[in-house]
Amino acid sequence: MIELPERTRRISASRLHEILLAHDAKSVVDPFMGLPTHLNYLKRHNIAVHGGDLLEWFVRVGEGIVVNDLTILRDSEVAEIVEMLPGRIYPLDLFKAWEGVFFTEEQCVYLGVWQDNVRNLRSDGQTGLAILGLWRAFCYWLQKAQNPDDMQDIPPSELAWSYIRETEQWVIANMRRNTVRQGDVLATIGAQRADALFLAPPARNSFRSADARIWMWEAWWQGNPYFTIEHAYRDSLLGARAADPPAYARALASILASADTYPLVVVQTTEARLSDLEPIVRNARANVKIVAPHPFEVYVVATK
Amino acid sequence: MTLFQDTAGDPRAARSNLADVLAWYGAVGDAAAGNPAGFAMRKASVAASLAEMAGTDESERSALLIAGVLHAVGAVGNAGCRKGEDLSARTIRSERWDIPAQGARICATIPALPTGCADLVRWQSERWDGTGFPDQLRWHGIPPLAQYLALADAFVRSPDPDEALADVSLQSGRGFGPSHARTFTMWFHMTGGESASQAFPLDALDAQSGAAATLLDEIADRIDAHNGVAGRWRRIAALAAATARALELDATSTNGLAIAARIFGAGELLSAHTEGEEFDPLARLGVEERAHNAVAAAELARPYAALRDAAELVAARGEWFDGTGKPRGLGRGELPLASSILAAAIAHASLDRAERLETAIGTQFDPRVVPALLEAAKARA
Repeated sequence: MIELPERTRRISASRLHEILLAHDAKSVVDPFMGLPTHLNYLKRHNIAVHGGDLLEWFVRVGEGIVVNDLTILRDSEVAEIVEMLPGRIYPLDLFKAWEGVFFTEEQCVYLGVWQDNVRNLRSDGQTGLAILGLWRAFCYWLQKAQNPDDMQDIPPSELAWSYIRETEQWVIANMRRNTVRQGDVLATIGAQRADALFLAPPARNSFRSADARIWMWEAWWQGNPYFTIEHAYRDSLLGARAADPPAYARALASILASADTYPLVVVQTTEARLSDLEPIVRNARANVKIVAPHPFEVYVVATK
Repeated sequence: MTLFQDTAGDPRAARSNLADVLAWYGAVGDAAAGNPAGFAMRKASVAASLAEMAGTDESERSALLIAGVLHAVGAVGNAGCRKGEDLSARTIRSERWDIPAQGARICATIPALPTGCADLVRWQSERWDGTGFPDQLRWHGIPPLAQYLALADAFVRSPDPDEALADVSLQSGRGFGPSHARTFTMWFHMTGGESASQAFPLDALDAQSGAAATLLDEIADRIDAHNGVAGRWRRIAALAAATARALELDATSTNGLAIAARIFGAGELLSAHTEGEEFDPLARLGVEERAHNAVAAAELARPYAALRDAAELVAARGEWFDGTGKPRGLGRGELPLASSILAAAIAHASLDRAERLETAIGTQFDPRVVPALLEAAKARA
């Protein structure tokens, strides 16, 4: 059975919003956005948001709930995603490698069908919404494998239907230009200008303990059950220095140096990592304040 | 002037007054959010009972209980609940997603509350699968105590306890973590879904003398903002206090009047209109509306000892001096002078020409009150 980590990264969008409001920031860049639900929150509160990540599915979801202002998936369109369409030939064996290990035969067939249907959607916004909805169904399955007696058996198409349909509520316009891009941190920082930079840098070697619900979904989106995301981190600025603590610290310092034009930098970390991170931020910025509501939710707020 | 008596040097009394004001705030929040009366206290008790079953320690349970009581305070002033907002259903829904975060911000400004209380309010509507609000936290990113609040909310909202059990079971892994849903099922089977109403944890409050009065002022400001009449209670309270001085009202009644001026606006949270908006404050047509607001405000405050006297003054402010008012038809000799002062001060606040009050002397208002009030208003001007 696959292990699902208990400690997941918590980004409280409403708290981040309070920090941004206190500094009168009207736009923000997040180069390590992950699943960009927090950017969706900020967008809803009239902040222009720009996100970036190395994983494509995060970026696709960003196109659905961050960039997209009005496109939703109607009932008929959701129906065309969650079930096999007559007359189409599907790669039913695409995720056979996961069968018996993580999923049942039926679930693997559905993963293949959904992957094919989502790739045939007509707009980026719809694709992003569908990926997000289906991911939640996928997470449900993984969790059900761990708690078979506590969770209900829901037919795959019904589960996917309800989750995709629900994504409609996150589509909102803020009359600002919002963007997402697939790329490393420096490329994202360099591509935008904003009032604030939000950084939630991955810990050293964190890709080794990446949540299965994250990397497996990238594998699903790529249509390759053997896909690994390690290379994506290894080729990145922080990942390349993961084995060498001083070099990792230098890489973080270089990120802060490249963010010199941003009036506000907010670095999210944990109490355990704060002693490593705080000196780096203090070297880069004159004014540093720590907001630490929880041991695993600490914000280093730095201004010039 | 101190609003609440007997708090000097007595921390227990200060805490008790503050607890009453907090519990009333919870009831006001429920009214603004459209929840039934007593919802907050019931939700808080069920959540604390669940936490007890899960083995949570007492200090955490106290924070949870208070968070449950204050669960809807963010609704007071929320754009999705506020009066006079012309919003689409979709916008109202998304605005209401901010109720927990606004509630957390309010809790963070109350220094007497225990640590962690604000964040429980913030995350009470998060769902295990990440589809909740406001932060869309998921899985173990949601504190277990916030999950108990969510479970309690689902349970209290459900018309039938058995239905609630079925819903929670269906939502295991979606709305609620599997282990939390399991705790709920266990609790349900052991208690039959009954949980005794828990007492407000006074010892968990770090109350200073005057904390209750300061909080009451803040709440009154929020209620006025919600009703679209910012600053109204301050004008009314100042005018009522000056009139009370002129009429040499005793200290207890003066205190009651001061509190009544702060709490009467809560009655309007339950009605579609702000008072004076639909009917002239001196017209007989508005008698029902005024009485309805008065009774609603009094019912919200009556369960709390620190506010009970003021609640009675508020309840009677829809009465007329000639005995033709509502709800009880009290007349001269039965109507507290402080109520008449409050009623006249409220009417004054929505009149274009203050002198019109004189036309209601002897019918709507006590003949002693209007001249004193107009004199006080002139002096203030």
